[in-house]
Amino acid sequence: MAVKAMYDYTWPSRSAAELYGDDQLVHVWWRGNPYFVSAQTFRFPKAMPFGALVNDVLKGFFTADPDFVPESLDTAAWKVDHEDLVPDLEASLEANGVGHKSLLEFSL
Amino acid sequence: MTVPAQKPARKLSMKQRYTALTHDLDWTPTYVKEEEVFPFTTFEGIKVHDWSKWDDPFRLTVEAYNKYQAEKDRRLYAVLDGFAQSQGQLGLTEARYMNAMKIFLQGIPVHEYNAHRNFSYLARYANGPGARFAALCQSLDELRHAQTEIHTLSHYNKYFDGMHDWHKWTDRVWYLSVPKSFFEDAQTAGPFEWLIAIGFSFEYLLTNLLFVPFMSGAAFNGDLPTMTFGFSAQSDESRHMTLGLEAIKFMLEQDEDNLPIVQDWLDKWFWRGYRLISLVAGMMDYMLPKRVMSWKEAFELYFEEQMLNGLFKDLEYYGIRPPRHVDWAIGEKEILSHQVYWILYQYSHAAAFTTTIPNAEDQEWLEKAYPETWPIYKQVVWDKAQRVMDAGGRYFNPGLPQLCTVCQIPMGFTEPGDPLTQCQRQTVYEGERYDFCSDGCQWIFEREPTKYRQSWLPVHQIFQGNCGGPTLPDVAAWYGLQPGDGAEYLGSPDHQAWLEWHGQTTKEA
Repeated sequence: MAVKAMYDYTWPSRSAAELYGDDQLVHVWWRGNPYFVSAQTFRFPKAMPFGALVNDVLKGFFTADPDFVPESLDTAAWKVDHEDLVPDLEASLEANGVGHKSLLEFSL
Repeated sequence: MTVPAQKPARKLSMKQRYTALTHDLDWTPTYVKEEEVFPFTTFEGIKVHDWSKWDDPFRLTVEAYNKYQAEKDRRLYAVLDGFAQSQGQLGLTEARYMNAMKIFLQGIPVHEYNAHRNFSYLARYANGPGARFAALCQSLDELRHAQTEIHTLSHYNKYFDGMHDWHKWTDRVWYLSVPKSFFEDAQTAGPFEWLIAIGFSFEYLLTNLLFVPFMSGAAFNGDLPTMTFGFSAQSDESRHMTLGLEAIKFMLEQDEDNLPIVQDWLDKWFWRGYRLISLVAGMMDYMLPKRVMSWKEAFELYFEEQMLNGLFKDLEYYGIRPPRHVDWAIGEKEILSHQVYWILYQYSHAAAFTTTIPNAEDQEWLEKAYPETWPIYKQVVWDKAQRVMDAGGRYFNPGLPQLCTVCQIPMGFTEPGDPLTQCQRQTVYEGERYDFCSDGCQWIFEREPTKYRQSWLPVHQIFQGNCGGPTLPDVAAWYGLQPGDGAEYLGSPDHQAWLEWHGQTTKEA
C-alpha cells in the first residue's frame, strides 16, 4: 500500500546496500541461546572468506558466553535467510549467499 | 449612535461564554474555498459531512482553563519546593529506583512537547471550532506536562547520574529511538491518523498502562514529586481520553466509509503503542525496589479487562473489532518484561541508566508473579550472568543487536509459545531485506514500506559512521554519556553515594 500523502511519496532506504561500499551488514544469530538477547549485527566486507568470519570473528565474539566452546562452531549447522547452508570456508560471504542484511543462523 | 433597546445580561453563564468564545467565533469563509483554509483534512480519505457534530470535551474558556491549570501548578511547585528543602531524595526506597525515572525523563517530556506541537497544528487546521478548541486545550496541556515533568525531575539531577543530557539523548541514544520513531511516525501522518495514533490509541487504549505504573511506582518508592506531578496531570489525561474517544466516534459516525480506514489505523497504532510500552513492562517488574503490581496484572486489568472487555464491546456498535495481533500481545504478558529487561541489562553499558541482577528479594517476587516463566529465564540467563559476576566480571554484550525496522527494539522477542527462540521475520521490498520482531511490526511495514525503510536505526547508523566513530567509547562520547550514567548499578556512583548518605559505605575502612 502506498503512503497516503499530498504528493508522490517516495524516499530511499536509510540502510541501502550502497551506503556500505564494499561491506555489508550481516545478522548473526545463535539460535536457541537467548544469552545473546537477539541476533547480532556486524559490518563485514562482502569479500570476507566464510572461514575468516567463523575463525577470526565469531569464535572470539561468542566467548562472552562463559559456556561457549569456540571449536563447537566447526561443526555448527548453518542457515542463511532461513535456508540450509553448507558453507564453503574458502569462498567469500557473497559467494556463500550471504547478502546485505542477510540472517546467518547457526545451531550448536 | 443608537442605544440598544435591551441591556445585555451583565454576565454570561459559563456555558454561554464557552459558546460565545469558541463556536460563535467560527465563520464560513466566502473569499476563499474551505479546502484552501483547511488543506490537510481530506487526503487521508476520511469523509466529514458536519464538523459541528464534534463534541469538545474541554468545554472551557481559555480564561477558566488558565485558572484551573495555574492552581494545579501552584500546588505542584509547592510540593517540589518542600521536597527539595527537606532533602527528599534521601527518603527514596533506593537509588536504583531512579532508573525508572531516568527512562521517564529521557523518553517522555520531549514527546509531550511533540504532542503539544501537533495539537497546535490541529488547533489551526481542523475544520470545526469544537475540534480546534479541544486541540488547543490539549496542546496547552502537553506543553505544561513537558515543563512540569522536567521541573519535577530536575531536582534529582543534582544528586544522580543519567539525567543531565536527556534532550540530546532523546535524539541519539539507541533505546530512545523507540519513542522517537513512534512519535515521529504519528507526526508525519495526517491529522486524522494522528488522532487515532495519539488521541485514541496512546491516550485512551494504552494510557493507564503507561501512566499508572510510573505514578504508583513513584508513590510506593518515596518519590513525592513524581507522584504529585501524576495527580496534577491526571485530570488533563482524563480529558485527553475523552477527546480520543470523541475523535474515533466522530469519524465513525460521519460516514460508514471511514470504518475500514479507522480500523486499519487502530490495528497499526495498537501494535506500535504496545511495543513502545514494553519498556514500561521491564521497568515495572525489574527496576522498582518496591513493586505495585506486575506487568502481567496491569495488562490484565488495564488492557484486557478495561479495554478489550469494556471499550471494544462499545465500539462493536460501529463495526470496530479488537485490534489485529492482540492475541500475540496477550500471549506475551508472561514473558515480555523478562525479555525487555534482559535487553536493557546486556546493553546498559551504552545507556543512561544502570541495571543489575535481581537480588534475592526481587527474585522471590518474580517467582510469585511469574511462576511459569521466571524459572526459565533465571536458569537460562540470570544464573549465568551471576556466575560471570561471581568471577569478577559483568556481562555486557560485546556487539550490536539486530533491530526491528518498525519498533526499533533489539529483536529479543520470541516466537509465540516458545519462550527461548527469538522471532525472526523478514520482508524483501524492492530488492532489500528488512527485519521485524513480530508479525505486528512486519504487517505495519508491509502497509507502508516506503515510510519505514527510512527508519533511522541506531545500529545501522553506527555502522555507516554517523555516530561519532566505530568503537563503543566513540559512540558513547557522541551520545554525550559520562562515566556513571550507564552500566552496572552495584558499585556505580549512584549506588556508592546512596550508601554514603545512609551511613553505610562500600569503601574499605
